[in-house]
Amino acid sequence: MSRGEKSPLAAHGVAPSYRIVAVPAAVALGAVGAIAADHAGLPWIVGAFAGAIAAALGVLALPSIPTRRATVVLLGLGGLAALRHASFAGNDRSWLLVLWAAATMLTLVMVDRADAEMVPALEGGAPLPSRMAETARVGALVSLIVMVAAVALVPSVTSRLGRKVWPGRSPTDSDLTSSPSSLQSSPSLDLTSRPRLGNAVVFTVDASHADFWRGETFDVYQGSSWSSSFDQDTDEPLTNTGSRVVVDAAQYDGGTANGTDFRQTYHVEAGYSDVVFAAPNPREVETDKNLMLAPDGTLRVGDPNIPSKIAAEGFGKGAVYTVTSSRRSVTAETLREATGEVPTFINETYALMPVTSGRVVELARTITQGRTNTYDRVKALENWLGDNTRYSLNAPLSPRGVDVVDDFLFRTRVGWCEQIASSLVVMARSIGIPARLVTGFVPGSRDALTGRFVVRERDAHAWAEIYFPGIGWQGFDPTASVPLSGDAKSSGSWLSAARHNAVPLAILAVLLVIIVAALPEVVAAGRRRRARRASWSAQTLHRLERVGRKAGRARAPSETPREYAAALADQLGDARLVEVGATLDAALFSAHGAPDEARERADAVLTSL
Amino acid sequence: MNADPAAAVNRGPGAALRGTPTHQGPGDLTLTSIVLFTLGAYGVAAGAATGQEAVVAVGIFAFTLFATGIIWPIVSIARLRVRAVAPTDATVGDTVVLQVDVRGRAPRVDIRALDPPGTWWRTSAPASGALPHSAVRRGVFRSVRVQLRTSAPLGVFVRTRTIRVDLDAPITVAPRPVAAPAVLRPVPEERMAAGPALLPRGAGDTVRTVRPYAPGDPARLVHWPTSARRGEIVVREHEPPPALGVALVVDLRGPRPEAAASLAAGIGGATLAAGGVVWCGTNEAGERVGATVANARELGRRLARAGPGEPAVPPEDWPVETVTA
Repeated sequence: MSRGEKSPLAAHGVAPSYRIVAVPAAVALGAVGAIAADHAGLPWIVGAFAGAIAAALGVLALPSIPTRRATVVLLGLGGLAALRHASFAGNDRSWLLVLWAAATMLTLVMVDRADAEMVPALEGGAPLPSRMAETARVGALVSLIVMVAAVALVPSVTSRLGRKVWPGRSPTDSDLTSSPSSLQSSPSLDLTSRPRLGNAVVFTVDASHADFWRGETFDVYQGSSWSSSFDQDTDEPLTNTGSRVVVDAAQYDGGTANGTDFRQTYHVEAGYSDVVFAAPNPREVETDKNLMLAPDGTLRVGDPNIPSKIAAEGFGKGAVYTVTSSRRSVTAETLREATGEVPTFINETYALMPVTSGRVVELARTITQGRTNTYDRVKALENWLGDNTRYSLNAPLSPRGVDVVDDFLFRTRVGWCEQIASSLVVMARSIGIPARLVTGFVPGSRDALTGRFVVRERDAHAWAEIYFPGIGWQGFDPTASVPLSGDAKSSGSWLSAARHNAVPLAILAVLLVIIVAALPEVVAAGRRRRARRASWSAQTLHRLERVGRKAGRARAPSETPREYAAALADQLGDARLVEVGATLDAALFSAHGAPDEARERADAVLTSL
Repeated sequence: MNADPAAAVNRGPGAALRGTPTHQGPGDLTLTSIVLFTLGAYGVAAGAATGQEAVVAVGIFAFTLFATGIIWPIVSIARLRVRAVAPTDATVGDTVVLQVDVRGRAPRVDIRALDPPGTWWRTSAPASGALPHSAVRRGVFRSVRVQLRTSAPLGVFVRTRTIRVDLDAPITVAPRPVAAPAVLRPVPEERMAAGPALLPRGAGDTVRTVRPYAPGDPARLVHWPTSARRGEIVVREHEPPPALGVALVVDLRGPRPEAAASLAAGIGGATLAAGGVVWCGTNEAGERVGATVANARELGRRLARAGPGEPAVPPEDWPVETVTA
């Protein structure tokens, strides 16, 4: 096409400045099309191609619709598709969502710029900045604003407005069999097999701070496995009153009385789970499921009328439940001072000498020699394990029939959390300290965008719990340093506090911006108002108009004050209004203004009316 | 343009309070704003209901663009200041070029003159440029109203701001003359002595005397018989022609003041063009003003300032032409 020749696109009415808009629009719809295709099980490239073509045609080839309108409608459709498929996290397509957002924003910038270019340039005026420079500058600034808003607001909006209870999908038998063992309640824990530790997200947690998400406890050590002394058949069914289950925490952990509440909302991502994970110690659960409470405080989903585990009784993908835990705030000093009497039930269940070798007992005694209180003795054991053993998921498995703790402490000294925590529990119990093994999950990584703790299969963990008289069970672990509740409270940063209060802070920020932006206008309006107040003619005209409105004769836009006053004089039969009009005229337009006496007479006339 | 309250009596009482209806609001939301608000509301509501952060994030994204798209243009245009310089004289119907100076920083802004609303012109601020504006009303104007608008950067909200700009020197808009015949009637001689500017153009044909030739005298004025008689070249001096003209009495107290002003401008202009003398009597800001005018521009300025009111009484013996509204 030679220079100056009209292009086919121009012939269709699309101005050249708009053509470039088709590029980001195609990227935006292509990105969202890829997500949609992936969600539908189609190759993502098909969706990307379809979206991009639709956008390009919409922007460039709809001659009967203004380009701006066509583009905005397309972006709106893309936005709806993004909302529809945003929650789909298959194959980790979240980067496509980010790409959609960036391309949408750039499209808006470019289409507005194209609109501006359609306005004729002011003769002698300054040219607009280059299209690319403006797009880049504005794109960077708006992206920054969007990112700050998303990070600040999304977690708060979700946690404040989001549902705390949701049934989720009903799990199938296939979900049950494919679910990792760490999510399923079990009467025993085998120490001679390697756990499944994949990258799949098992659940996410909305919580103000990190904690260990506790699942089950085990108190009977059998050399190569742990089991619970409480049969699941003896679990107590809990009453669900309107999606709320109250758990009497004090009955299995007397130390939880007068604790501080800690609320967590769990969003199940795995296909099946029947363990109710909770930070210690749950006192209330919001859920639509029936729950069972074991004497050790373990909560699981179940129905007393259905003895065997079935898939439909568990949490499925998408299920949401909220736990309120109560935990007394403690520090190392409080634990050192906890020297009261241990309840008989605790002693008989958790402080019995475990079945292990004599050298394990001897080692425990040696390590804790000279320590006078439970806390210092446990810390000594924990420190020794930290100093003398090594954490590795590739540690060799202990042979069957061998005491795993003995083998770990005296032969390999390499193991993962189950071996290390088992060693701590067994050694503690061998010197008379009530202890038990706990399985669950470490807090996981906190999502920068949503503020949620994302917990994956590989975050499955085992640690020890030690009983302190008057305080209750406290977690200890040399591999993952379980925080004391008192320490956990103090670990919050100003940033986390800001995030937690993001909504009020954001509202405050928006108000500040509005105030600052509107301040000049408000000041100017005030000046204008004061000027109007100071002007006798404006005030008098206003009074005259008020008199007219009362009489049902408003001033027409084309009427001068003199004409209006004359008309009112006729209508009201009061000739004095004619003079009011003349005085107003003089005040408004005469170089000398209206005489004071005339003003006073006009005021008197209007007051009398 | 806004009339000087002290001088613009010509527009009639209340004319300063009138005006062509124009958009005076703070701005307009666009289709983009509706789309973004809908996406934002739906995203936040649906995302919060299901606890899906990604959906909430999409909603927050849309809401953020919505809020940014509103606040940005408001802030950027609030800091702009405008100065304007206008020509001193114009006639109703002329396109006046205002030299505007936009101060402040804004990458994209449209500007136009109001009263009546003109065409939008785009620029980037700071900038100086020529802003065309139609002079549609007679009067003396000390300020103009200018509108700025921008929807940058997202096109969510079109912020419009109206600014009253005081002119460094007022602009006088004269009435547009209508076609009218010149009125050339004899006027008293004593008025002619008022000043050389009032002398009629061109010479008469009555010879008053002769005088010796001076370099520069046209050859056609040489009086050959007398030159031959005296032996030196002499030239003729003519009597001035009789003074012709009219006293225009412009009374704008009727229903059609503009038409009357235009007719007065037409008569006066034609008379002046024909070499006549024009005395103009008007009422300006409540005072009767009467004086001869030197040229059409001065007549236009007088008529621009004229307003309804009793006009000045013409001098005795002058031929009077009264123009009433």
